[in-house]
Amino acid sequence: MVEKTIKCPKCGFQKTISGNPGEKKKIVCPECKTEGVFTFPEIQQIKNIADEDAAITVTNLTKIYKDVRAVDNVYFTVKKGEVFGFLGPNGAGKTTTIKSILGLIHTNSGQITINGIDIKKNSKKAHKYIGYLPEKIAFYDNLTALQNMYFYAEMKNVPKSECKPLIVEMGLKEAANKKVGKFSKGMQQRLGMVQALLGNPAVLILDEPSGGLDPRGVALIRNKIKEAKSRGASVFVSSHILAEVQAVCDRVGIISKGTLVAEDTVEKLRDRLNLKPKLVMELEKISDEIISSINKLEGVEKVEVIGVMVHVTCNPKVKSKIILAVERDGGNILNIQTMEPTLEEVFMRFTEG
Amino acid sequence: MDLNSIYFIAKKEVMDNVRNLWIIIITIIFATLTIIISALGSLFTDEWQSLGLTIAGMMGIVQLLVPIIALMLGYAAIVREIENGSMNMLISLPVKRHEIILGKFLGLGSVLSFTILVGFGIAGAIIGLMVPNVDYVQYFIFIGGTILFGLVYLNVALFFSTLFKKRSSALGGAIFLWFFFNMILPIILIGIAFAGAALKDIAQGIVPDWYYLVDLVNPMSVYSALITLNIGSISSAGSSMGAAPQIGYPEFYTSGLMILILFVWIAGFLSLSYWRFNKKDI
Repeated sequence: MVEKTIKCPKCGFQKTISGNPGEKKKIVCPECKTEGVFTFPEIQQIKNIADEDAAITVTNLTKIYKDVRAVDNVYFTVKKGEVFGFLGPNGAGKTTTIKSILGLIHTNSGQITINGIDIKKNSKKAHKYIGYLPEKIAFYDNLTALQNMYFYAEMKNVPKSECKPLIVEMGLKEAANKKVGKFSKGMQQRLGMVQALLGNPAVLILDEPSGGLDPRGVALIRNKIKEAKSRGASVFVSSHILAEVQAVCDRVGIISKGTLVAEDTVEKLRDRLNLKPKLVMELEKISDEIISSINKLEGVEKVEVIGVMVHVTCNPKVKSKIILAVERDGGNILNIQTMEPTLEEVFMRFTEG
Repeated sequence: MDLNSIYFIAKKEVMDNVRNLWIIIITIIFATLTIIISALGSLFTDEWQSLGLTIAGMMGIVQLLVPIIALMLGYAAIVREIENGSMNMLISLPVKRHEIILGKFLGLGSVLSFTILVGFGIAGAIIGLMVPNVDYVQYFIFIGGTILFGLVYLNVALFFSTLFKKRSSALGGAIFLWFFFNMILPIILIGIAFAGAALKDIAQGIVPDWYYLVDLVNPMSVYSALITLNIGSISSAGSSMGAAPQIGYPEFYTSGLMILILFVWIAGFLSLSYWRFNKKDI
């Protein structure tokens, strides 16, 4: 209940009334008996959900299954034209979040917009912008790949002539006229990508797109994501395979146990955790002396010996000093390289514990 | 409401089901049974049994078989797509959930109607060649009534397919439904008749009017009343089959009422399916 003081437009008499947000109330002015209807204003959203530059906005999203909070008060925004990686361990709430975005499940709270359109109020219009590749893919087994795609093209109001070229591009040329019931998991995944790409949607939502795919299939999907981005589409990719996400994503969101624990660019997340690059050296012979003298150098954080390799986590500025120290102690460096901290480390740090 | 979406879903549903072998098998079974019954009825006469008599013989078989076909077609319609995952993609398309339900109903309903029409149509044509003075109008009323009867069960099945999380539970539900309408409900209704009417009346085949009113809850009875009301020759000629007692329906039993009741069943369960499906998490 909220209270509101209103003024009679005729005689100026003021009165305080109470009601629920959005409620309409009939009022009769006690002074001049003028009748009117007052609508209580809706509560202002915490974030401005009608963000013009946003492809997807998720505000205050919560989904409870029985007594498990699968997704708990999640906020994030996918900007127009960006590739957004959605990371999390299995069971963290990735698919639940995606299903909420699409309106497949009913949420306990939350507002979701696709290109500024509220998914709950106008799901049909919002879906016109979306190409979706689900994690669990299935088609109509008695129909061929092409017949299946014709159905999706009809539903999306896309010319059927788009189907065949996309099927060929995804490497299913030979299988186009075969029944989908006989397809392998990888082939279904490729066909799922064809379905998602039909009509060049403005927003692509891909749930674990490389599941069940061979490396060539993974590369195909990666190229399709890049193509989509270059034509101005926004892409939302969920994955637990980090190399995937790192290769294509502008920003990432990390979800753990139903809560969004981070949302930023890979570089910024890395900086925030103060993750340092590593110097990796292959030595002919590793001695305790070499290790201890590296350890003594200022700017060196950690020295690990893995087989014949020495991994030194350090400030990039001391790299040359490390090399000098190793050579001074008689170490023969066979190979040397610098390893940037991976998203894997970022991910592990955010989702641990 | 988007008629295009409904049509596309219905078309997909037809294409997906027509490729199923069992639909063709059932069509053949219908035709074969009809012809056999007509031929058997003519064992003691010189010529084939007429269509009207064949319809009388077919009623019992229709009441057993049509619900099975309808339940088989419909029981998994929604739950199958949810269980295997194709519903994910279907709902993410620009389509409303009521359009999905209506599309499924129209598609599966067409398959069912087509099966009944072709199965009985072939048989009717063959019998028509053998027997003189065929009343085709009666036969088409029989086919139409049977289709309507089948659609009732299709919608009950469709509703059941939105109730369960697993296809196997939905199959269990469908089998239970068949038993319910074929065995349990008639026993309950006969029980009511015996409890309320004088035994000597029932023994003489006199059934009170209120019982006919109660009996309208059973779509089986409504269907048989609809056919009997329209194809009057059944009861009088039924003696040659050695069955079919004289039925004296009360005055309020009209074809219009029977058709209305079947439509109410269809619309009611269609609405229930939508209500249930709309609430569902996929």
